[in-house]
Amino acid sequence: MGKRRNGPPRGGRPTKSKPCMFCKENVAYVDYKDYNLLRRFVSDRGKVRARRVTGLCPQHQREAASAIKRAREMALLPYVVGR
Amino acid sequence: MLIVIPELDEEQVENTIGRFRTIIERTGGEAGEVNHWGRRKLAYEIDHRTDGFYAVMEFTAGERTLTELKRMLRVSDDVLRHMVVKLPPSYAHKPLPEPTEATA
Repeated sequence: MGKRRNGPPRGGRPTKSKPCMFCKENVAYVDYKDYNLLRRFVSDRGKVRARRVTGLCPQHQREAASAIKRAREMALLPYVVGR
Repeated sequence: MLIVIPELDEEQVENTIGRFRTIIERTGGEAGEVNHWGRRKLAYEIDHRTDGFYAVMEFTAGERTLTELKRMLRVSDDVLRHMVVKLPPSYAHKPLPEPTEATA
């Protein structure tokens, strides 16, 4: 899914979208048990990173988010960091 | 996937998991290999415990298995937390992530 938004955007850098990481690796199921991978998609506060940061496609962003929530339930990932 | 309380020793953990395995088999499900992650630190405290034994098992289950298994998991004092997840048909077996924060 290499949507490329070209042309001069209003302010800021020109956007160059990369293909979604999971699409690139043909991942059909984002596993909640793979917490080390999921860690990439949460901030250091433990929050789910926004799509514009993760660069995931809508489908995989959704799947990653629910995988993170499952991982949180099983105490593989924290709900909050530092409190 | 389930988390067993850290107060038990390896053998007792084995027994606990074996109990659920028999429940699955007795009610007509098919239980696969148990994947022991071993003792691991929890990401947050559950019932004042900071670690627990993790185990993952794949199984097939009908309605009867599921209700019975879930009931037993809820009732059991040895199980800190559990989760039953329906796997997609395309699910491929992947090697487990290495337990990085494991405490021996």
